[in-house]
Amino acid sequence: MSNRWNLPDLGIGIGLRTVHFPHVLSQKPRIDWFEVLSENFMDTGGRPLWVLDQIAERYPVVLHGVSLSIGGSDPLDFEYLKKLSALAARTRAHWVSDHLCWTGIMGRNVHDLLPMPYSEEALRHTTERVRVVSDFLERPLVLENPSSYVEFAASTMPEWEFLARLAADADCGLLLDVNNVYVSAFNHRFDASTYVDAIPADRVVQYHLAGHTHKGTHIIDTHTGEAVPAVWELYARSIARTGSAATLYEWDEDIPEFDVVLAEAQKAAAYRAQLTGDEPLLAAAR
Amino acid sequence: MTSQPPLDRLQRWMQAAIVHPGDIETALGSPTVRKEIARADVDAVILPSPTLTSAQRVEVYQSMYLLRMEEALATDYPGLQHFLGDEEFFALVRDYVQIHPSKSYSLNRLGDRFPDFVAVAPDVRRRDFCADLARLELALALVFDAPETKALDASVIESIAPEAWETAVLAPVAAFRLVALRYPASAYLDSLNDPEHRHPEARRKDTYVACYRRDYGVYRHDLTRAAHDLLADLVRGTTLGAAVAAALKRGGRHRPKQDDLFKWFRQWIAGGVFASVETA
Repeated sequence: MSNRWNLPDLGIGIGLRTVHFPHVLSQKPRIDWFEVLSENFMDTGGRPLWVLDQIAERYPVVLHGVSLSIGGSDPLDFEYLKKLSALAARTRAHWVSDHLCWTGIMGRNVHDLLPMPYSEEALRHTTERVRVVSDFLERPLVLENPSSYVEFAASTMPEWEFLARLAADADCGLLLDVNNVYVSAFNHRFDASTYVDAIPADRVVQYHLAGHTHKGTHIIDTHTGEAVPAVWELYARSIARTGSAATLYEWDEDIPEFDVVLAEAQKAAAYRAQLTGDEPLLAAAR
Repeated sequence: MTSQPPLDRLQRWMQAAIVHPGDIETALGSPTVRKEIARADVDAVILPSPTLTSAQRVEVYQSMYLLRMEEALATDYPGLQHFLGDEEFFALVRDYVQIHPSKSYSLNRLGDRFPDFVAVAPDVRRRDFCADLARLELALALVFDAPETKALDASVIESIAPEAWETAVLAPVAAFRLVALRYPASAYLDSLNDPEHRHPEARRKDTYVACYRRDYGVYRHDLTRAAHDLLADLVRGTTLGAAVAAALKRGGRHRPKQDDLFKWFRQWIAGGVFASVETA
């Protein structure tokens, strides 16, 4: 199955991180694609932007943001959207994603992916904003399911239903972070399988996998280390429904050498191969 | 609580709790937080889990906020963090973001007012030195992120007739900052890489630094007072002739030799400090 927009299965990618810049530029590793953090490149004219230009020349790129605040109550920031759109054009990004969350109110940015109540009010509010953003970007916005540490009494539906309804009503794509599903499932005591089974298969454009930190009473989505086997099992379960989609391994804390992250990401290949029998796309001429 | 708060009030409440510098109970009981949702109503708004109370669940976000702010500011102010140590630096960050919270989609500019804040912050050890260190580190951060502008090509320099130099006006590249300091902040930054941890003392000493970027690398060039004054005149638009004349008139031990002036000028051209030259 392909997604409803026929956005490509880019294969297996990792997040572009500053510590890996020298390696990527000099070694030109065999990786299918990179995900770049939009905000890191929107306000700099220095070396990071130059590096990004070099990488976008050689590899497919996807933009992933953390400050869109799609669920926020402040008005959308159109200056931000203009810069995001310009960056997408500059990098020929295959899609633009952010998170189902809010990041601040009253003009502030807390720089965290803050949780939403899953209520009809929040659904109406977020749906409208997604439509506006998608129109502005002239492409469907792709939203990632968050990891969260609170549940609101105001919620009238589970997160997976909210996400599915939002995707349908706003006609947006989904970035299914199976580690976030696992983390939230532990924190809120729901069945992670129920979650992935409820996601509209034709809207999944991309996957995230990552490690986390177990605190005993809760799990924090730290993007550190290797993904636990249960996360890989969720991934396998989900791609059996959605088909293969661009898959990214996130490692953002205590980041090891590039090849270590790449090796973790490449574990996805075995699951994808079981599904389709195809080899992943390799970084080829654009 | 008879009904759930609307979305915007929920968000105002949660943000106020997360950014409050006190512990979670102090935060939830504070006036700014209580005005949105009373402490007694928190358990009716945030559901507890089998392992965490409602307040503890909010605390997960609160505990990460200041750490994130500290990480962002430590990236731009590693010298200041090194000098103050982790505990003092964290306290400074905690107080700073109360007054200057991030209002941007990026953390890149969070620290733009940090030097001014340090300059008047009470209880900062060697405050004046710290303020200078912060000013220099801010200059380097601004140079790092500045737009890229092409440096003046040597062929352009060579094409200018000798008599035209008198009225020539030079403009620096965008990635350039000139800093006049009262303490040896540049030497302190150099010492961060000293394996034997020999650091200059935070004693009064006028120092001058040109910060610029070339080939996307950021450089610091320590200047004499005379070199700084000449370069300052040039980048503010004084003609080369007038700037050289002013430099030669400056009295005392700061008066440079003419040969020094042209040596510096050639170094700055070669270093890529200037983006353009206009002649009359």
